[in-house]
Formats: sequence, C-alpha cells, structure tokens
Amino acid sequence: MSKSRPPLPLTPAVFHILLALFGKERHGYDIMQQVKADSEGAVKMGPGTLYGSLDRMIEAGLVAKGNTQEPRRIYYRLTALGQTTLRAETERLSRAARFARRLLGSA
Amino acid sequence: MTRPARQKESRSLRVYARLLELYPPSFLQRHRAEMLQNFVDLEDSAESKARLWLLIGKDLAISLISEFFRSRLGRYVIAVFVAWMLLFAIGYFFYGPTPGHPALHAFGGFLPGMLAMYIATRLYGTPQNSISHFFRSRFDIYVISVFVAWILLFVIGYYFYDPTRGHPALQVFGGCLVGMVAMYIATHVYGMP
Repeated sequence: MSKSRPPLPLTPAVFHILLALFGKERHGYDIMQQVKADSEGAVKMGPGTLYGSLDRMIEAGLVAKGNTQEPRRIYYRLTALGQTTLRAETERLSRAARFARRLLGSA
Repeated sequence: MTRPARQKESRSLRVYARLLELYPPSFLQRHRAEMLQNFVDLEDSAESKARLWLLIGKDLAISLISEFFRSRLGRYVIAVFVAWMLLFAIGYFFYGPTPGHPALHAFGGFLPGMLAMYIATRLYGTPQNSISHFFRSRFDIYVISVFVAWILLFVIGYYFYDPTRGHPALQVFGGCLVGMVAMYIATHVYGMP
C-alpha cells in the first residue's frame, strides 16, 4: 500500500479504528470499546481482528505506536496520513450517502 | 512471557492463551501480551461467558484465517489446495460422477491430513529436522498418535469394506498421509508463518 496516498475505500473495521483514534491515543481494549460505541454496536471486533488490522494500518503508515513501555497496554495514534485518509473516506461516504438519499427520495 | 497482572488466572484465560498459539509466532511476538490483557478486560466486562466466547470464537476464526493466508506457508497451502482440486476434478472426470469414487476419498483424506499437521506444528512447534530427535518431542508424539488413530480407522474401514483392493478406507488413509507429508514439507521449506 502506498504511504503517500490515502488507501480508499477503507473496510468498516479500519474506518472505525481510525475514527476511534482521532484526537486521542488509545490502547487495544479502549479502541475496541470506542469502535463498539461509535458504531452503536454494529461493529464488534475481537483482539485478533483488531491487532491484524493495526499491523496492516501501521504498515500502510496510517497509525503509529505511542511512546509506551508497558507491553500489555501499547497506545496507538493516528499519523498525518491516517488523518488525511479518515477525512477522505468520510467525504467519500458522505458523497455516496447524498447520492443514495437523492436516488431514494426521487423513487 | 508477559502475563496480565492478575492474582489468579481464570480457566477461560488459560484456554485463550492456549488458542493464541495457533497464531503465527511473529504475530504473537508483537501482540501476545496485549491480547491476553484485552481478554482479561473483555472477561471482566462480559455479560456472560457465552457472549464472550461467541465474540472470541468469531474473532479467532476470522483473524486466524486472515493471518495464515498472509504468510508464505499460507500461500503454499493455497497452491497445494488448488493443485489437489485440479487432481480431484481430473479423477472425478475419469471415474465419472458416481458417489464414493476414489478421487473423492483421497481428497477427503488429504485435507484433514494437512490440517492435522498444521495444528501439530502450531501447538507443539516446528518438526525436528534430525531423525535422531524423532519420538522425543511432543510434536512427534502427536504425529504418531494421529498416525495410530488413523491406522485404527483404516483397520475398521478395512474390516467393514472387506479386504478388496482400492477400497474407500485405503483411499482416505492414503490421502491423509499425503496431506500430512505435504504440510510437513511446507513447514521445513517455508518455515512457520
């Protein structure tokens, strides 16, 4: 995956992880809880899915590890590319939703 | 190995710690401690054990498959699987679409053979390279146990199907052994994921 261009479209899990990390560093369990709350329970992820996604997001340059020494509570944060990607995906989803509403409204 | 800070480990945590061994070592090296701590947190906040294990079971099934197929060993397994499907299709074509034909039996034995060997390598470590080490590790004991169990099944099948050449038990048995050998070679050539 390119490290300079937002890799769109995102999977729901990646989108919600980025959203959970916006403006705040979080550890794994905190991310899972935030994702569950943000999606109103629609996206529930376990540890394996979360850390698999985080590995791929770190590799893509969307997320970075915080400066924590505690191996059980590693904090993750958004990178500049992660923020750009989150904004771009939000815009893409908004456009799609606007189009769908227009289509459904005229039907 | 870092363990979550807890006076006493629950049985669920011990089971989960054992299941984590199914993940590739490189993945575990990065996340084992975090995942165990997450499990403790999830267990503390879970409404019931059933809900907790439903989430964990689903998570394990999805993420294990995903992590496995990202590895070189996973790609090898896909290649072998595709080749085997091809052989199966050829066998099916030549023997005709009758139920219980040899290709189907061999194919049916091959997949559990590969799976059995993969589980063994994940749970008990990579197989020993030297024959002098054989019979000494838990891995080898596992392989021998599977082998003995399979011989037992074969004998039962042989007894019920009569000692005719090319009967189904023999075909399934052969397929399983080929599957085990294929995975054994893969772990040596490509290493564990």
